[in-house]
Amino acid sequence: MRRCEIGLSAKIEIMKKLIYFIAFIIWAEPMLAQEISIQVLDRATQQPVVQAHVKDHSEKVLTVTDADGYFTIDPEQNPHVFISAVGFSTIEIHLNSDTKIVYLNPQVFRDKTELIVVANPEGQENVHAYHQRSSTQNMDQFLDNIDGISTNKRGAFAWEPVIRGQSDQRMNLTIDGMQVFKACVDKMDPITSYVETKNLSKLDIDKSGSGVAQNGSGRSSVDLITQQAESTPFSMEVNSAYRYPDHFRTFNLTGNTSDASGRNAVRFSGSYKKAEDFTAGNDRIINNTQYEKFNLNVSYKHTFASEHSIEANYITDKAYDVGYPALLMDATKALADIGQIRFNFAPSDGNLQFQKIQLYANTIRHWMDDEDRDVANREVMRGMHMPMYGTTTTFGTRVNGRANLFDHSFDWFLNGFSSNAFGDMEMISIYSGIEDMYIYNLDDVQTRNLGLGLKHQFQLSKSVLMKVEESLNYKSLGTGSDRYASFFEGAYGREVETQQKFLLSGSLSTLWMVNDRWSLSGNLVYSERMGNHMELFGHYVYNYTDGFFYDGNPWLDTERSFNTDINVTFETVKHSFTFSLFHKQYFNYIDGVLAEDVSSIDFQFKRYANVGNATISGGELRMLNNFSHVFSLENRVSYLYAQNQTLGEPLPLISPLKGNSMLHIHHKKNMWMGEVEWAAAQNRIAETMSTEDRTNAYAILNATWERNWLNGSLTSILSINNLLDNYYHTHTSIGNIPEAGRNVMVSVSYNF
Amino acid sequence: MNMLKVCGRIAAIAALVFTAVSCNTTNDSNPKLDLIPINSVTVDGYTISLESVKELETGSNDLFWKIEQDGEIMTPQSVSINPIMDMGDMMHSTPYNQPEKAKEDDRYFKNMAVFIMPGGMMGSWSISFEITLQNDEVISGEMPIEVASSWRLTSVRDDNDNIYFITWHAPKTPVVGGNDLTFMVHTRESMMNFPAVEDLEMEIYPYMDMGGGSGHSTDFTNPKASGDGLYEGSINYSMSGTWTTSVNLIAENDTLPEVVFEYSVRAE
Repeated sequence: MRRCEIGLSAKIEIMKKLIYFIAFIIWAEPMLAQEISIQVLDRATQQPVVQAHVKDHSEKVLTVTDADGYFTIDPEQNPHVFISAVGFSTIEIHLNSDTKIVYLNPQVFRDKTELIVVANPEGQENVHAYHQRSSTQNMDQFLDNIDGISTNKRGAFAWEPVIRGQSDQRMNLTIDGMQVFKACVDKMDPITSYVETKNLSKLDIDKSGSGVAQNGSGRSSVDLITQQAESTPFSMEVNSAYRYPDHFRTFNLTGNTSDASGRNAVRFSGSYKKAEDFTAGNDRIINNTQYEKFNLNVSYKHTFASEHSIEANYITDKAYDVGYPALLMDATKALADIGQIRFNFAPSDGNLQFQKIQLYANTIRHWMDDEDRDVANREVMRGMHMPMYGTTTTFGTRVNGRANLFDHSFDWFLNGFSSNAFGDMEMISIYSGIEDMYIYNLDDVQTRNLGLGLKHQFQLSKSVLMKVEESLNYKSLGTGSDRYASFFEGAYGREVETQQKFLLSGSLSTLWMVNDRWSLSGNLVYSERMGNHMELFGHYVYNYTDGFFYDGNPWLDTERSFNTDINVTFETVKHSFTFSLFHKQYFNYIDGVLAEDVSSIDFQFKRYANVGNATISGGELRMLNNFSHVFSLENRVSYLYAQNQTLGEPLPLISPLKGNSMLHIHHKKNMWMGEVEWAAAQNRIAETMSTEDRTNAYAILNATWERNWLNGSLTSILSINNLLDNYYHTHTSIGNIPEAGRNVMVSVSYNF
Repeated sequence: MNMLKVCGRIAAIAALVFTAVSCNTTNDSNPKLDLIPINSVTVDGYTISLESVKELETGSNDLFWKIEQDGEIMTPQSVSINPIMDMGDMMHSTPYNQPEKAKEDDRYFKNMAVFIMPGGMMGSWSISFEITLQNDEVISGEMPIEVASSWRLTSVRDDNDNIYFITWHAPKTPVVGGNDLTFMVHTRESMMNFPAVEDLEMEIYPYMDMGGGSGHSTDFTNPKASGDGLYEGSINYSMSGTWTTSVNLIAENDTLPEVVFEYSVRAE
């Protein structure tokens, strides 16, 4: 009995000690580990976000949120984390002991605003991610392979992106949301060339233009989101590549570092590229396709104790000796300087919240000449050299946040910019006795814009979400030069004043999550477009698509459009299928009309006018299948049907049915990729409005072998494009300049 | 409250950015009279000076007359002139009008003269003048002048051998962009009388020959008679360089042979 009592009291004592010990552990554990609990909430609904992944910079999952949206973490050990969850935008946050709540922004319409992560590590099972084809690939080549996007080509350099058949003024192309205007009046400097793929963080593609609040216009949009400095330990990557037979060579050095606290981070990336003339299929050398290019991107980020942060970013890009075989002349020099400062607010409550203030400035300068051309025997502008110069300077600001008014929350976006453009051309005859000539293509032409956009989201039911966006913009266009204004006064017999318009655009989007795999979405977008500075105030600008010289028309009416689309998406962890159909109807379509009075056989002039109606319809199909860790397949198909309803003929430069299929095979440290790139024949051509001709179908084969060495520090890529050495050109290649024939590229990158 | 302040500052920055380049710079187009001396003569202690904006040449010229005594500028009651070309075996005048007080500068009297031929081997120009001062004193004399050849004057004859002198009156210096265009047309009734012709129709065609056998025209409006032998239209030059403008006069439904002006258009 005593033994029993002793035994019982001893057990009680042991139990007590155990309880004390457990209590001590429970009490002391957080003290020892200094862990804190943070709740993750949906910013729209204030509801907990369950199963949100908390990752470090190497994508390693540290923890996940529980049923109440909580996770615990040691902020000393992991001061900087990324939090992602299905249906929400990934957020990067600097943690400290005061952090209690983190908000995630819903991204319910992600199937419309396609967010493509370029630098996605291979092997990650993310069906949305594009495989990193090659870090040495140019931005325009990268875009050209995305369904719904094509490029207008004039040679090997600076292809002009086109979304759903709309290019230049009918789409928005921005860098971090910044407006950057081309300096070349012949559009030879699309701004995609200023962001190297190495410096691209994400591509925000809005094919329907439904992101009206942000894009301010309802136009199809591509935003090149650059890689900013990250609060990660020192890292550096050296990358180099060589391609035969065009002797393309490139060298890139990218580095990122931050101080011990992680509050100050710096990133830099410099690259150099040079290419000689490329060789098309059947060993045909395409003269004048060389280029040389430098690019430097520097960014700095400081995170305040209050969780506000400030970022500064500067891009400088310099291209030299760029050949354009499709055109009359080549670019001798193209300089871009693009700078921005962004202040990011920490998440806050309140009826008026600020998320970001961005101030930016950029200047683009572009020189061209035809010193290397046979000017005596060409058909257009025969017997003279024509050095050209163009420049644009733009200042702007973007501010956005969230507001709560009468129990309704919405996002707001303010966007203002002012841009000045100048362009001229000298004409120096090769014949003696002919006086030099000089033309202003643009003189002191000023574009100003101030817009407010609002975005509202409504949860109609558990499975139906609706989004309404509207935008009101004030836009003005004019010239500060009386002499230049007199061109238009003389041509139209009216006094030129600064043209001003209020432009309205809006969108209605609905997403129906049928079940956890199928979803259906639709968009209706109304857009108003004032002609751009070239359409209103361009003078004597050669258009290489139809061979006419164009003069602007300051009195153009607003071009209007309705875009409707419907999208079906099937999505599992490993498989994704998206099918989209769209139809866009243009009213008051702006295009050139022959100016008979001033035209001659050699010089045909057009003036911009509202010519009537036009439509563009089409669809895209995208399938991404990860069959296993070894095999994955990617298929993309696009089709466009575009018609100028006034003339009863197709719109020019419309891609035919085209697509690509890629099979990836992963095995240990190796990745093999085989690709078929193809396009059907294009027989629908614009005979009145362009000089384009019919294009044959083609299919080419590409192959890539990628291997990691030295525990992943060293990566080598061997790629052979156009394996069968086909001689072909795309329909959107101006002057039918052929594509490259068989070429072999070796690329090596090393991570420190 | 702080947020409101931030909001206000952001709005101010946005407005600043938006208006940063909005200041319109307008060119100061106040025409300052910038004259060069042509010649001067001294009669009875008075110095009569002839000045102009440029050296005299065939076509229309603005003549500015100044009378000084001991360095002091005199304002006469009237100035009367008569330009004469002395060709040895014959003399003739030219289209002109009589001087009046210059609106640009009241120290001068101003008139317009169209010299229909240059001075030189063929003959020499002089202008006889008669000036009535405020004290009714009359000064008269003759002022020899040099007249150079220019592109601004041409002539054409009809079937009846009537001659028409066509003067490119404005713009004096064509520049790119819109230009108000003025021709003057005179005929010859006698060697001393060259009246203005006001009842013609005029058709023009501007053309830029860009070499290599190619070129093009530009926007223009045909000049129409506006009185005093003036014909007013416009040309919108799309570029600088050498342009030609052909002119057809239509007199009493009879189209006269085409004449061509060839000249340089400046960029600024």
